[in-house]
Amino acid sequence: MKSFVKSTRFRVLIVFIAFLVGIMIYGVTKGGYSLSAASLINMITQPLKSVSNSIGMEFERISDKIFSPDKYYEENQQLKERINELNRKLAEYDDLKAEVEELRKFADMKEEYPELDMSMPAEVLGYITNDPFRSFTVDKGKADGIEPFSPVITSDGLVGMTVEVSEKSSTVRTILSPDLSVAAIASSTNADYGVIEGTVLTAADGHTKMSHLSTAHKLKEGDLIVTAGNTGMFPKDYPIGTVISTDFEINGLSACAEIEPCCDVTRLSTVFIITDFTGKKEGADEAQTAP
Amino acid sequence: MKLRLPREKRIYYIKTVLRWIVYYIIIILFFSTMNAGTWTKPILLVPAALCIAVNNDLMASAFTGAVCGFLIDVGCGRLFGYNAVLLTVFCVAVSLLFELYLRDKFINFFWINAVVSFIQCCLDFEFYYNIWQYDHAEIIFYEKTLKVWAYTIISSLFVYLVFRLINKKLMPREHLTIKEIIDNNRGITQFSKE
Repeated sequence: MKSFVKSTRFRVLIVFIAFLVGIMIYGVTKGGYSLSAASLINMITQPLKSVSNSIGMEFERISDKIFSPDKYYEENQQLKERINELNRKLAEYDDLKAEVEELRKFADMKEEYPELDMSMPAEVLGYITNDPFRSFTVDKGKADGIEPFSPVITSDGLVGMTVEVSEKSSTVRTILSPDLSVAAIASSTNADYGVIEGTVLTAADGHTKMSHLSTAHKLKEGDLIVTAGNTGMFPKDYPIGTVISTDFEINGLSACAEIEPCCDVTRLSTVFIITDFTGKKEGADEAQTAP
Repeated sequence: MKLRLPREKRIYYIKTVLRWIVYYIIIILFFSTMNAGTWTKPILLVPAALCIAVNNDLMASAFTGAVCGFLIDVGCGRLFGYNAVLLTVFCVAVSLLFELYLRDKFINFFWINAVVSFIQCCLDFEFYYNIWQYDHAEIIFYEKTLKVWAYTIISSLFVYLVFRLINKKLMPREHLTIKEIIDNNRGITQFSKE
């Protein structure tokens, strides 16, 4: 050992170490920047580092998969649960969104027609099987204050009338049906009176018919038809539909018009039932509708 | 002293109860399809009621016919009881026909179902559209009534197969036919020879 300490090799080694320490101290004084030699080394070895790093990572990944499948399985399960939870939340969010939209419409309608007392939005439970006039049932009934022969509307226009009310549901007859008559007037002229009554032919296209019009009517395509409100069955001035075409009745004594309802009666999801309105006739006249 | 039922009798009761539970589950399923969507749909409850009537006794057939009829009334928005009466009568008639004159074959069921559903569809058209003299009511007959009838008789094949399967699995038989006894004996003889 003594001979090694006194040897030239030892001295050279000490000098080399001192050099390295010197480089180190110099490096410290550079304030974070690497020395040019270090930069050069880095630059030369970068591709090599990159390749080796990727190989190492791949190897770790494979070995990890082989030696710890349980960990991944658990993680997978947790992620699946998380996805399911998020999907549930998304579905709830969609429901809430739809509900908020319905309530917003409801609030708008309340504001627009303050004279109407309406039920909360009624959900369409289903259309009556194979009914050509698209009658349907809703989830509001006697328990919700609904009475037979109450007008049914959407924010877009008149839909029909309740004809059969049970405790928790009601059947609605639409304006496509020949069994429902609604006194109507053209909004533009405010003079052309008629009766909205569906027919077999018009109902097939989702339209209805305005009959008993004067032959001297001034209706034209696109005119808005609203409820006349003089029977006490429907509120006044509520939109029904727009005129598609006009013609004369077969008898030639009066004219008629094909009407496209303001709301698509064949594809409804939510409606409102009017429980009371200004000018309502007490004890709704059942004769208004045929059996 | 508590009397115990013989094993066969217990199996008979269990199978019968299970069979009726499955029958009514299917009836409810068919009813729920009636209210789905806005397309023209077959009245599946008619072939279902007839299928049950083919293989069961008179009273059970009548009761099931009434239940199916009430469900059709609710689903189709008809006067409550109208279709119940019709189907009860048809189910009793079909049950009697199959008990006395006809064999349980698909072809027999098919034509009986075609006749019954045609009468049901025609009466429905007559009482709900034609009698009120709507203009162009015949369009409803050609485009709705006949379509529903056609769909119903086509779907009766599927309904028949479903009920056939249920009966095969869950219909306990009180008696064997002569052919079955001969076949069984032949099987036993062959087995003993081997």
